[in-house]
Amino acid sequence: MKNKYLFGGAIIVVFLGVMIYLFTQTNVQYETNFDKVIASAKTVKATGSWVKERNYQIDKANNLFIFYMKDEYGKIMKVVYHGTIPNNFESSTSVVVTGKYGDGYFNATDILTKCPSKYQEQTVQNAGS
Amino acid sequence: MVGNILLTAALMSAVFTVIMYYLTYKGYKNTLGLARIGYHATTVMVIAAALILLHAILTHQYQYKYVFDYSGSGLPTGLLISTFYAGQEGSFMLWTLFSVIIGLILLDYTSKRGDLEPRVMMIFGLAISALLVMVSPLLKSPFHYIWSQTDFLDVKYLNSAYLSLPSIQNYFFSDPNSNRHFFQISKESYAALLSSGVSINNFIIQGKGLNPLLQNFWMQIHPPMLFIGFSMSAVPFSFALAALIKNDYKEWVKQSLPWVLTGSMVLGLAIMLGGYWAYGVLGWGGYWGWDPVENSSLVPWLVSVASIHTMLVQKKTQDSNGGSRFVKTNLILSIMIFVLVLYSTFLTRSGILGDASVHSFVDPGMTVYLFLILLLASFAILGFGFVIYRWKFLTEHFNYQENILSRELALFTGSVALIASAIIILVGTSSPIFGQTVQTSFYGDLNLPIAVIIGVINGLSLLLKWKTTNGKSLLKDSQFSFVSASILTLLIVIFGGVHELMMIVLTLSTSFALFVNLEIVFKIFKGKKNKLGAYIAHAGLAIFLLGVIATSGYSKEQHVELVKGETVNALGYDLTFNGYRPIENGTKYAFDVKVTKGNSSKIISPVMYIADFNNSLMREPDILEGVTKDFYVEPVSYSDGSESSSSGGTKVTLKKGESYNYDGKEIVFQSFKLPQDVMAAMQSGSPFTISAEIKVKDYEKEYLLEPGIQMENGERKSLPAESKETNLKIEINNVSATSGQAELVISKLNDKNKQQSSPPKEVLTINASVKPFISLVWSGVLIIVLGFILSAARRTKESIQ
Repeated sequence: MKNKYLFGGAIIVVFLGVMIYLFTQTNVQYETNFDKVIASAKTVKATGSWVKERNYQIDKANNLFIFYMKDEYGKIMKVVYHGTIPNNFESSTSVVVTGKYGDGYFNATDILTKCPSKYQEQTVQNAGS
Repeated sequence: MVGNILLTAALMSAVFTVIMYYLTYKGYKNTLGLARIGYHATTVMVIAAALILLHAILTHQYQYKYVFDYSGSGLPTGLLISTFYAGQEGSFMLWTLFSVIIGLILLDYTSKRGDLEPRVMMIFGLAISALLVMVSPLLKSPFHYIWSQTDFLDVKYLNSAYLSLPSIQNYFFSDPNSNRHFFQISKESYAALLSSGVSINNFIIQGKGLNPLLQNFWMQIHPPMLFIGFSMSAVPFSFALAALIKNDYKEWVKQSLPWVLTGSMVLGLAIMLGGYWAYGVLGWGGYWGWDPVENSSLVPWLVSVASIHTMLVQKKTQDSNGGSRFVKTNLILSIMIFVLVLYSTFLTRSGILGDASVHSFVDPGMTVYLFLILLLASFAILGFGFVIYRWKFLTEHFNYQENILSRELALFTGSVALIASAIIILVGTSSPIFGQTVQTSFYGDLNLPIAVIIGVINGLSLLLKWKTTNGKSLLKDSQFSFVSASILTLLIVIFGGVHELMMIVLTLSTSFALFVNLEIVFKIFKGKKNKLGAYIAHAGLAIFLLGVIATSGYSKEQHVELVKGETVNALGYDLTFNGYRPIENGTKYAFDVKVTKGNSSKIISPVMYIADFNNSLMREPDILEGVTKDFYVEPVSYSDGSESSSSGGTKVTLKKGESYNYDGKEIVFQSFKLPQDVMAAMQSGSPFTISAEIKVKDYEKEYLLEPGIQMENGERKSLPAESKETNLKIEINNVSATSGQAELVISKLNDKNKQQSSPPKEVLTINASVKPFISLVWSGVLIIVLGFILSAARRTKESIQ
């Protein structure tokens, strides 16, 4: 009877230990301050908005999608994403990129765009008042 | 109005039903009839409210905010109907609708099985009441009028005939940034409209429409299926609580089992329908992305499947005194299923996942947020509170030991593995609550060993006998399967290129399970066919896992540019772009690509279009489906070649030291080069040149270019700089010495040369990929579903004995 609980307990401890270890290895923080993004050596999810004035480029030969992102403090960062421009990109109000900063740009492995529906009313209200 | 009244009355009637069932349970004689009347009344009112909403959608009544926000005129009927559940309010409405209908079946089912009805229906009625509170006028009713809340409507949704009405002129606004015009809808402006004799449905003539991503067949089938699964998750919860209330655990597992089986089947199928949608239409490139929304419905499914196995043990080990194995486990798991569905709802509806998911969510507001927490907490406390209340009784009465080589223990281990997987996914999915998230490798790395365990158990448990098994006979029974599995694995390793140790182990354990199950299916097929279900489902699972191994580890992808008419080889396929053609009345474009492999060739047509809804480029993949592999083509971009002939170049404004990426090259504006005395030169009127030092980085190499502007007597002459090595031409358009900025025009050199020699080329860029044996994933799912259906049928028959 006792052995059963010891055995079960040991399995649970090992399982939780492995899970917590992998969690700390793979967890990604959200970061809205690009100064911190640039300083960080870890993979982060940088949240900001696309700088429309600086357009974007699609490098077909190397399958790169390059654009500039701005954080809430106005800090601008260049983002190079290995892949295709996502659907909805042009109309996005908020962009979340996952990756690391290095060599003067943010190397994104994943990109997520948010649609404006949520924010639309706010901008209009400002214009109206 | 009528809709809101119906929903409120339905809520009151549901609460009445719960009270009447409670009194019946307490021994009152006349209340059972009243409870049933109450339940039927609730059902009728919910169905009526749903029909009113459907009617409002079909007749485009934009007076309802929900219809305006999520529906639109001009959608085909099927999609128009699916706008019913395109938003939060409607999807809660759908969940409620399915719940009351399932409750009708449950009422009939429980009324035929002893004194079950009052207890089960009381708890199920509570769940329905909670959903009705959610769609009540206080929270997320779909029947709110559009003017009840002040909002700005783009004038494009309005009837232009009324825009010049004098009484409403005060309510127009424009946004100078986007140059769009809006009408402020509010109680006041609505009153102004009414006083002018304009009905709101003549005034608003179009809705915001359905998100184009949702505009396809799968939208009509995946969400309803998912909500049937969600509705059914309240059933095992009700059965478990019914047992706890009566403190009698003999019958409930037998009675609950068919429901858990059916619920798991529906929820599992719904999840994989979503996967097929993502793969075939949305262009995710795969069927599973470990997205929080997918995960949050997978977790209750895993727990539900785990509970099936431990319930089976309880049913099998029942002795004449009512004692059996896993009584506590089953109660807890059955409660967990529903609590996890509510938790999933909380995660996806509260806006918490806002940044973490592909699915976009609207923040529902603080009231709904708090209500979702309250909902989750109250059902969790109700369920687990009862378990704690009965804990002492349960531990005293149900305590068993089993032999290590028994089917009981094997089934338990399988359940533990499933629950471990559920915990992993739950932890990862919940992390956005704490402002972080996990990389998808977290799920993959942790679930891989669990998949191996499940593979082994999937085979082994069926060879083990109940209570105890002779080790020798086990070895003998497993010989055939083990040898066959080893041969299959060896073949896969040699011909399939599977080399990673874990993958080989997983392949071995999964194929072992496959052969064990197939052998049993084959044996049973000659005998008692009603027992086939479980083995078919497990064989299906093994096939599914083999498909997962192949697609997740061994897919290949390539980025290809296709010039019209020219054949390119990619991943062993010859691809020729034949041009595009408009489809669906010219709203979309299909790009025909001829795919040739060996002697056979076929045309596949990925689709791209600009959606009015969000003014974005939408892409739909196309797939050349095969038995051993799918060839998957995702469109990326299309250029008709005319772009370069206009040769406008790209205008950029750069400060000193800033860089710009053009055509893969980095263009750095280093500094201005001015004459020594600019002021003097300007005043004298003699010609002088301002130039800019521009560094062009092309991968490893660097080039220096110096475009300039020559000024002579106030006239400007541009002196562009060209670089053949980098194929660039850079011109200065304007300089601002004070802010140190230069406006440059960058263009490609050879575009012009090409234009002179040859006509513009049409180029389609695609992402091509090969997905080996993805057909196993889909067929595995279908076989599992078949197995579930057979099992559910068998257990339904048993439940009444």
